[in-house]
Amino acid sequence: MFYATIASGQSIAVDWDQSAGYSTEDVSAVQTKLRASGDVTPEVRFNITGVWGKQSEESDAFAAAYPYTEHPVVLDAYVERTFRPAGRLFGVRLGRYRTPFGISSESDQGYVGFQRDPLIRYDDCFALSNTFFEHGADIIVGWPRLSVEVSVGASRDVGEHTRSAGLNTVVRGQAAAGSVIVGMSYIDTQSHLSRAEPELALNIDAGADASPALAPEQEHPSAQGSARFGGIDVRWMRGGVQLRGEFVTGDPFDGARTHGGYIDLIVHRPFMGPVTAALRAEHITHTDLSIAVLHGERYTAATRVRLVHGFIAQVQIVHNSQTLPQRRPTAVDIGVFHSLRFN
Amino acid sequence: MPLLFHADTAHAAKRRGIVCLAIALWCASPVPGSSQAVVVDVRGIVRVGNRPEPDAVIWLDAPNDRGPRSEKRFVLDQRNAAFFPRVLAVRVGTTVDLPNNDRVFHNVFSFHDGKRFDLGLYPVGTTRQVTFDKPGLSRIFCNIHPNMVAYVKVLDSPYFAVSDREGRFTIAAVPPGTYTYHAWRPGRKDLTGSSALPPGKDLDLEWR
Repeated sequence: MFYATIASGQSIAVDWDQSAGYSTEDVSAVQTKLRASGDVTPEVRFNITGVWGKQSEESDAFAAAYPYTEHPVVLDAYVERTFRPAGRLFGVRLGRYRTPFGISSESDQGYVGFQRDPLIRYDDCFALSNTFFEHGADIIVGWPRLSVEVSVGASRDVGEHTRSAGLNTVVRGQAAAGSVIVGMSYIDTQSHLSRAEPELALNIDAGADASPALAPEQEHPSAQGSARFGGIDVRWMRGGVQLRGEFVTGDPFDGARTHGGYIDLIVHRPFMGPVTAALRAEHITHTDLSIAVLHGERYTAATRVRLVHGFIAQVQIVHNSQTLPQRRPTAVDIGVFHSLRFN
Repeated sequence: MPLLFHADTAHAAKRRGIVCLAIALWCASPVPGSSQAVVVDVRGIVRVGNRPEPDAVIWLDAPNDRGPRSEKRFVLDQRNAAFFPRVLAVRVGTTVDLPNNDRVFHNVFSFHDGKRFDLGLYPVGTTRQVTFDKPGLSRIFCNIHPNMVAYVKVLDSPYFAVSDREGRFTIAAVPPGTYTYHAWRPGRKDLTGSSALPPGKDLDLEWR
């Protein structure tokens, strides 16, 4: 293992991204994002990200990592410092940042060929959300290949469904060996969705012929209690082939339980040039008062092509099980992304 | 008094802009223990039109020079979702460190010309290495962050430099003589010409 000296003197960089997409679920979306990052001092860095997005209707299409609030919102706004005493790792992050549970960074979720949240990370699905944000402090200690991260903050989410006010604690451990990276996460927070009405519930045993589950945005009785989830994430990569997965289980509120996960296969071999291909399989089950109200699987095939002058095109085919509410069995999402950097 | 060179080569008509390469010879000095009795530092400024050009690579052909390699460690850092420096010049056979100094993962790869590799994912604080064993240009990307781009120019010569923010550069310890010089910057073809490097003379190169 090698440790290189951190370079200093980098100027501030500003990234300006634009994206637009259309889904055969009759959803279209446009979005623009501005991100400024750089060094306050050679040791202290900052990151500020603002975004504006508009969707023709609420959907998880093109929702990976971004909210569609129809007004500008600040996503990240933090400063951080990383120390390397004698090969160890110690970092502090202060401000507003994404909840560091599992595979949580925007870059992981947004750029690898998918433009939909995993079901377990879409805020309508009684689990977690990529648009959870914390106002607080995040500390990472350990070594580069074995570290523990602890975040204590207050919920300041963006998007349609936000958590109740309160203090949140996230603990994450990560180990890397060879080409394998394994993480375990735990979060103690507040619920962000209300309790489902039992009469609208779906009986899992009824299988595909069952009535569709309730629409998540329907009015439901208030949920009580806090949310607690545990999860494990694994990544393996070699020779341009990445296999990764994330699995979570926990209580979104008292008397309810959600578990689910996804596996991604992402391929970018040298002969593929600017093309990246990806496959995803995922499932989710939410049980409320011992009755399943959300249960389904989804399969995605996607490709991303780097074009010239900062343009990227993405196409994906999504197949939903019939038990997933308000989703067509098959959808095609087409997106175009453009990015400029100023420094 | 600078000497003015116009590189009106067959390629020049294809190029836009003007690159001014001002090469000043400084500090003729003997090197103790060296087979070369006298060497000079070649200093200059790279310009495009009237604008100093940073991140240009300037080198002198020396295919038969098998002199000792530099002990300097070359680092292509990943920091704030960017490569630093953006342009790196190394001699053939050099191993470059690519540390991840971000709190997010990067997936560094180069699939086009030059050295081909894919380093996979590696976490903050860890470093992977690449040995550039053939001359040429390697374009370095991150498969996660589309704005991350860097260039590694691999040269079969010990005499090279990268211009700084003011367009200035210094090629150290060059034996006096007649050299073929080259200059490169991202998005442009190489500038090529020939010049004698006598001590005490300034050289200006204007590339139309």
